[in-house]
Amino acid sequence: MKRYIYINHDDLAQDLYCDNRISNRKYTLWNFLPKNLWEQFSRFMNQYFLLIACLQLWSLITPVNPASTWGPLIFIFAVSATKEAWDDYNRYLSDKKANEKEVWVVRQGVKKLIQSQDIHVGNIVWLRENDEVPCDLVLLGTADPQGICYVETAALDGETDLKTRVIPSASMGIDFELLHKIKGVIECPSPDKDIRRFDANLRLFPPFLDNDMCPLTIKNTLLQSCYLRNTEWACGVAVYTGNETKLGMSRGIAEPKLTAVDAMIDKLTGAIFVFQIVVVIVLGIAGNIWKNTEAKKQWYVEYPNESPWYELLIIPLRFELLCSIMIPISIKVSLDLVKSLYAKFIDWDDQMVDLETRIRSHATNTAISEDLGQVEYILTDKTGTLTENKMIFKRCCIRGTFYGNENGDALSDAELLNAVSTGSTDVIQFLKVMAICNTVVPIQSNTGVISYKAQSQDEEALVRAAASLHMVFVNKNGNVLEINFNGLLLRYEVLDILEFTSDRKRMSVVVKCCLSGKIYLLSKGADEAILPLARSGQQTRTFSEAVEQYAQLGLRTLCLASRELDDDEYREWSLMFKEANSKLVDREWRVAEVCQRLEHDFEILGVAAIEDRLQDGVPETISTLRKAGINFWMLTGDKQNTAIQIALSCNFVSPEPKGQLLLLSGKTEDEVCRSLERVLLTMRITNTEPKDVAFVVDGWALEIALKHYRKAFTELAILSRTAICCRVTPSQKAQLVELLKSCDYRTLAIGDGGNDVRMIQQADIGVGISGREGLQAARAADYSIGKFRFLTRLILVHGRYSYNRTAFLSQYSFYKSLLICFIQIFFSFISGVSGTSLFNSVSLMAYNVFYTSIPVLVSVLDKDLSENTVMQHPQILFYCQAGRLLNPSTFAGWFGRALFHAIVVFVITIHSFVFEKSEMEEVSMVALSGCIWLQAFVVALETNSFTILQHLAIWGNLVAFYAINLIVSAIPSSEMHTIMFRLCRQPLYWTTIILITMAGMGPVLALKYFRYTYRSSKINILQQAERLGGPILSLGNIESQSRSLEKDISPLSISQPKNRNPVYEPLLSDSPSATRRSIGPGTPFDFFQSQTRLSSTYMRNSKDN
Amino acid sequence: MNSNTPSSSAGGIGSADTTGARRNSKRPKYSRFTQQELPACKPILTPKWVISAFLLVSIVFIPIGVVSLYASRDVVEIVHRYDTDCIPADARNDKVGFIQSPRVKTCNRTLRVPKYMKKPIYIYYQLDNFYQNHRRYVKSRSDQQLRKTGSENDTSACKPEDNNGMTIVPCGLVAWSLFNDTYNFTRNNQLLAINKRGISWKSDRDHKFGKDVYPKNFQNSTLIGGAHLDPLKPLSEQEDLIVWMRTAALPTFRKLYGKIETDLQAGDFINVTLENNYNTYSFDGKKKLVLSTTSWLGGKNDFLGKAYLTVGGLCFFLATWRSIIFVMESESRSLNKLLTDILVNAFLGTT
Repeated sequence: MKRYIYINHDDLAQDLYCDNRISNRKYTLWNFLPKNLWEQFSRFMNQYFLLIACLQLWSLITPVNPASTWGPLIFIFAVSATKEAWDDYNRYLSDKKANEKEVWVVRQGVKKLIQSQDIHVGNIVWLRENDEVPCDLVLLGTADPQGICYVETAALDGETDLKTRVIPSASMGIDFELLHKIKGVIECPSPDKDIRRFDANLRLFPPFLDNDMCPLTIKNTLLQSCYLRNTEWACGVAVYTGNETKLGMSRGIAEPKLTAVDAMIDKLTGAIFVFQIVVVIVLGIAGNIWKNTEAKKQWYVEYPNESPWYELLIIPLRFELLCSIMIPISIKVSLDLVKSLYAKFIDWDDQMVDLETRIRSHATNTAISEDLGQVEYILTDKTGTLTENKMIFKRCCIRGTFYGNENGDALSDAELLNAVSTGSTDVIQFLKVMAICNTVVPIQSNTGVISYKAQSQDEEALVRAAASLHMVFVNKNGNVLEINFNGLLLRYEVLDILEFTSDRKRMSVVVKCCLSGKIYLLSKGADEAILPLARSGQQTRTFSEAVEQYAQLGLRTLCLASRELDDDEYREWSLMFKEANSKLVDREWRVAEVCQRLEHDFEILGVAAIEDRLQDGVPETISTLRKAGINFWMLTGDKQNTAIQIALSCNFVSPEPKGQLLLLSGKTEDEVCRSLERVLLTMRITNTEPKDVAFVVDGWALEIALKHYRKAFTELAILSRTAICCRVTPSQKAQLVELLKSCDYRTLAIGDGGNDVRMIQQADIGVGISGREGLQAARAADYSIGKFRFLTRLILVHGRYSYNRTAFLSQYSFYKSLLICFIQIFFSFISGVSGTSLFNSVSLMAYNVFYTSIPVLVSVLDKDLSENTVMQHPQILFYCQAGRLLNPSTFAGWFGRALFHAIVVFVITIHSFVFEKSEMEEVSMVALSGCIWLQAFVVALETNSFTILQHLAIWGNLVAFYAINLIVSAIPSSEMHTIMFRLCRQPLYWTTIILITMAGMGPVLALKYFRYTYRSSKINILQQAERLGGPILSLGNIESQSRSLEKDISPLSISQPKNRNPVYEPLLSDSPSATRRSIGPGTPFDFFQSQTRLSSTYMRNSKDN
Repeated sequence: MNSNTPSSSAGGIGSADTTGARRNSKRPKYSRFTQQELPACKPILTPKWVISAFLLVSIVFIPIGVVSLYASRDVVEIVHRYDTDCIPADARNDKVGFIQSPRVKTCNRTLRVPKYMKKPIYIYYQLDNFYQNHRRYVKSRSDQQLRKTGSENDTSACKPEDNNGMTIVPCGLVAWSLFNDTYNFTRNNQLLAINKRGISWKSDRDHKFGKDVYPKNFQNSTLIGGAHLDPLKPLSEQEDLIVWMRTAALPTFRKLYGKIETDLQAGDFINVTLENNYNTYSFDGKKKLVLSTTSWLGGKNDFLGKAYLTVGGLCFFLATWRSIIFVMESESRSLNKLLTDILVNAFLGTT
């Protein structure tokens, strides 16, 4: 699994590996049609429609012109194919642009300008300042004499800071001219997508250097899509090209997420499908019986006596085709359309724009907005998500002296300033570590102002703080750092950097003082990664106390330490370090092991405390979403104490009297087991009390709990509304998401950094905060927002509206299809069960495609409650979470309504247009008009807020219906020639239509009104309050009810993990139990009310504070 | 620590405001649509609204119902079933055999005019249990062929009556089964003229049935369905065929036979001489002769009037009931609750 790359060896390079042609295209010109069709037909719905359409080609069984199915089908396919083609064409264009970009490449020993796509592995590529890197390169030379260059990797990982890259030691000092002729071999792994690792070796061929292996790391590479900055030129050898680059490999197609609503719609579609099959079988049998008994007597039908073998199948198949419209072909298109509009509304929302950075919210995944309204668990990262990730050095403890305790800011602490000016050795050493022990790059602008580019916010904070304490990190010249201390220039040569990893939790540098020639090891890291390594004899108690104290204040702590090294010790270690670094296998682990050999016997210098401020509106956001019934889990890599403090300060958990924290800890299985049992016991007891209980677990205990006590931990997870998980790794975060998902909860994960990517991808909804840690999380996420507080709006406004709208739209789509289908079925009873279609092909097609799809599309503008009301009463989200607006029961309501309306239309039509009036085309048009009128009024009745667009769509559609039909009636060759003219002149027609409308809508309106008045949902109450009076009335209502019902609250129990028993709200239900259920003080409202009660305790708490 | 949070958030808002102002001024396109802030009217179902809606409906519906009921009652209609009576007593056991035999099938019936009938009086024949809407039947025709001479061979849809060696015009089951009973009316031994012109739709004569299309090979095969056509008259003038070809959606239907252009007095006796040719006996279909006047709503049909009165009445009942509740509601809340609970349970609980 290795590749050997021969540098500058034109003959070998050609065929072994692919060229640098980038292709993001999914299709080519030739395979577009088959591939696209294949993809589209892999969906069940499409297969079904295709089957129906094919059956329709058999003229013996088709009830209508095949065009009525083929038309919409082709249209729908054409739309999605065009969209795909357009996207692909754009990808092709951008690929082409990238591929044809001209770059300087060495060919046959000469630099030539060639197109980027012709680069081959092994070619030497020359880049100038601000050039984009065309493929993955291993650096060979730069303009900098020290072999350093700077790159911006924003396109790769979203981090906007400059990163340094160095040429490998082997090619150090090679002349500019000789670089053309360099020959050698690079041994590197096969292409992968890890942009943080590149474990390879370089061996240059003579005459350039000896035969030594030179280790290569990611530090020696220039990756595709990065930009060369602040460096005049650089050159490197191509190692991965085309789609095999790190960037190319990491481009993956994310698995499409399916929303709960989609799943429900699929389920309902399945149910309708079964219903359809039943209808077909029943009617098919009835049809065959009728044929054999009655139709044989009907001489004018002339049934032949001899019939082919498939005769029995013909009538069922006809009914299958007749009933195929039961599953609306338009629903997928309509849903796709409105979903992309929901996403656009999120993009457009001016109230979700981060005013500081001007970052707009963005919905990357346009298909899952409804899920936002059904979120039950939010798993949030801490740093950068709840906090601003703007680190400010606040306090420190140097050798037992606390600075900054009085005024809360060490930088203005007179005592510290004094100590600096008097030159206290401890303080100076402390400041030196602050200034040196990092990977920060100082950039001096022309005006002399120094700005720092850092990968870690902590490091930047430390360097800045040191600078303001007169220890200014001025310049980084290759390996030599220049530090200006009170006008004195100090030089240090960096010998080695022992990098930070999340396992080691510390980083160190080995520096050599240019003055004294002494070698120091400077380290900083988490307390538990540094303090145990103190030299024997040094008291670390004060430091651990300091750490404790700072953590109590919610500050991040870093322990700083140093050690002087012997030359011999260093030299010996250095060899091992080099060797470990040139390992291809397990390099990270080996390096860590070697590092550990040096990092011991520290002289602990002190503790630095860094504040990470809470973002605006975080406590309010959390308490609002809490009220909405959403449970919060905090997953952080930070220390337990810091995490708890942050949790307290942002309303995450309540302080002692009201809230209770249960610690789940332990290092061994037994300890964790006992601890888990204890916590569970407490949890079960306190669940009946109005107490806010949260559990706290650290990464170690979590690991054991997840591994050995998964069942118990799952129970705990279900019982607990709040949890704090600290010291967790990215994969544990993802595991926790997985755990909650396996309990059938809708989870939302929000985070900002690369360590949150896995949990964001794992969760039902991933939200990324485009913050300081780069865009990695935001890119992986379904939604990216600028600030945590926008989450309220995202969920309560966008999520809720999306859910409500989709719930209506999808059920309505079924309603209108069922309506027309029922009429067809009824008609078949009076047409000898022979499968005659009452409606002609044009009408059927237009009914689905125009008349009924357009009015319902404007339901995307519908708002049942105003945004403010929802924000004030977030409890109302419960209706969405529990799926109360779209479930089998509400669907049954719509089903019943379709049946009722079909009966109304059919019965009235065939009784009004009797005898001499019962002409086929006329009757069909009367029935169709009846359906159109009814559906217009149904949409109108179900619309909560009418904007001008809704009026236009609903009533305009009605006008359009008549316009279209009048036009079609004017065409002599059409089947319905003059029909509409004749009808419109008849008073009978209009009286019939009015009767149909009233008879159809009257009961629906009455029922809705009764429900509204006597079984009103909380939504209705709020609507009433919003439009008639103030909000006081409604809130009082909810609260008074909740108080009276407090005794009935049933605790959540493990046997019934999901207490979101939807109270079904059938619209035309005839089941008394369904309506009765909602009136009693039974389960359905409990959850809702217990939440209001809980939330009221929250409000009280916040007031107490 | 708690003191930290408010101060920081205050600072944050301050800074946000300044940039916010800048943003607002520079905002490229603020649209009420994109912000979902289009002005909207939000009706809710208040008792007043619902009561007045129902009241309005009842006010509109009851008069319409009365008017249409009157219109329907104004129509005078004579319906006479003759299918059994026109079979001679000796053939009653084998009606099908009789109708298929070459015997003379003339039959005389007498109708009494119950009320004064104003001209024009429409003559219909009514068939019961005749499925003109049967799928096999309704599809078995060729509109192309009827329209143009050139499309004569366009008979693919007409099976099984598409050709009998030669192309049939008009082809198909519908044309083949053309009704062939004939009626002649006399009053006081005076012949009542039957106007058979203009009984079909004008649009059909002009556009659907060609002026240069003549019947060909019609009813030439061994199996004869219904009426023969005059091969010298173009289809556009074969009005009985045109009427028949407008298929009915219901198994019971009437088709216009002709018009009587004189008034009929109450008590008049009308003798009908009819040729009972059409076979409805094999499927127990009924044949009726209908003489009817017409109103603005069409023929005699009480359904609409009754339906309007029912809907209007129900709405009125609902409206009054709701207004009583509404009035009581403002007077006594507790009483209201009791009553409505009972009523609601009666209404919703039992349905």
